[in-house]
Amino acid sequence: MAIESVPILPAATPATFRALLTASDRPVVVNVWASWCGPCRSEAPLLRQAAAEWGDRVRFVGVDVRDTQDAARAFIAEFGLEGIEHHFDPSGAIPGDLGGFGVPLTFFFGPGGVLVSMHSGVIDERTLALGIDDLLRLAG
Amino acid sequence: MEFGLLAAAVIALASLRLTLGFQPGGAGRDEPPGIGAARSWKVRLAAAGGGQRAARLWDAALLSAVVGLAIGRLAAMIGAGTNPLGHAVDILIIRGGVDTVSATVAALVVFGLLSRRDLLASADAVAPGALAGLAGWHGGCFTRGACLGTPSDLPWAVGGPAGVARHPVEIYAAILLIAACVILIVVRRRPPNGATAALAFTTAAAIRLGTEPMRLTIGGGLTWWYLAGAGFGLAAVVMAWLRARRVRA
Repeated sequence: MAIESVPILPAATPATFRALLTASDRPVVVNVWASWCGPCRSEAPLLRQAAAEWGDRVRFVGVDVRDTQDAARAFIAEFGLEGIEHHFDPSGAIPGDLGGFGVPLTFFFGPGGVLVSMHSGVIDERTLALGIDDLLRLAG
Repeated sequence: MEFGLLAAAVIALASLRLTLGFQPGGAGRDEPPGIGAARSWKVRLAAAGGGQRAARLWDAALLSAVVGLAIGRLAAMIGAGTNPLGHAVDILIIRGGVDTVSATVAALVVFGLLSRRDLLASADAVAPGALAGLAGWHGGCFTRGACLGTPSDLPWAVGGPAGVARHPVEIYAAILLIAACVILIVVRRRPPNGATAALAFTTAAAIRLGTEPMRLTIGGGLTWWYLAGAGFGLAAVVMAWLRARRVRA
């Protein structure tokens, strides 16, 4: 997909992002990424596949940190991540507010924004599947 | 990934070293070291070309492991969009990831090339060690935090991050593989040439197939590949025995 077809990412702050999580009635998987982050490239196809498989029951949200809009949109187009809802955080404040450090990070939130678990670094298939399965069981 | 593959290589080499160096009680002076099925290869290698060829096996296994890890690391870097030539120091950062498939294929190709003159006997020799290494890879799930599978009410189920008790499926696989490794080592009967390796391959595929329903996967997993692997390995075992019967006749 061409970069032109990827919309501008909406800017988010820790406060607006917390509000998004709290308001969600579905479990949320939050992946913190950046176009300059090498490990983010290796986990991107897995996240796309997971979103395609569970996107109807789990909300997948990406947070692009310390990046530029053009580079971020090119990354989304390259890996076909249009099925994931992305937010733009140029200051990189959101992951710190959620309790994480570095890139990539993956958070698993229950409905209402309750943090269930967090994974730091590249996430593998098993860990991602386990986190999602935990969320679905907790959500009933 | 990460330390799992490194642990697998180290455990496989250590197991091979142990089986090579083990001197069974009561063995005659002329008998080569090693035990059970893992020893029979050494007799064959010695008969085929003398002890020198047998001594090269360890070097071949060691080189295969090192090359496999290096290729796996390079493949992981390239896959992540990092140019290894521009970031040479990063090659040593194992935590950055090692691509398992590339590493395994590279190790097998190198071992196959180095052992091409006695391929079946050499494959038999490393088969128990390979199973132990595979067990180490599954056991390495502790470093990845990925040991758990589907929910379970069994007494030994382990609580996950969200408190849901689950099968420690990777530990099941590791225990079964270690058991298979021990059986291959202690069995005294000498199977036909190539049968030990084929049996090890079948066992590994069958264990993976048997534990697969307890695993959590994205995109359906590789069940059919494990089924095909088990079938292929079983066919190779039967062929090895049939060939041995034909030779005896």
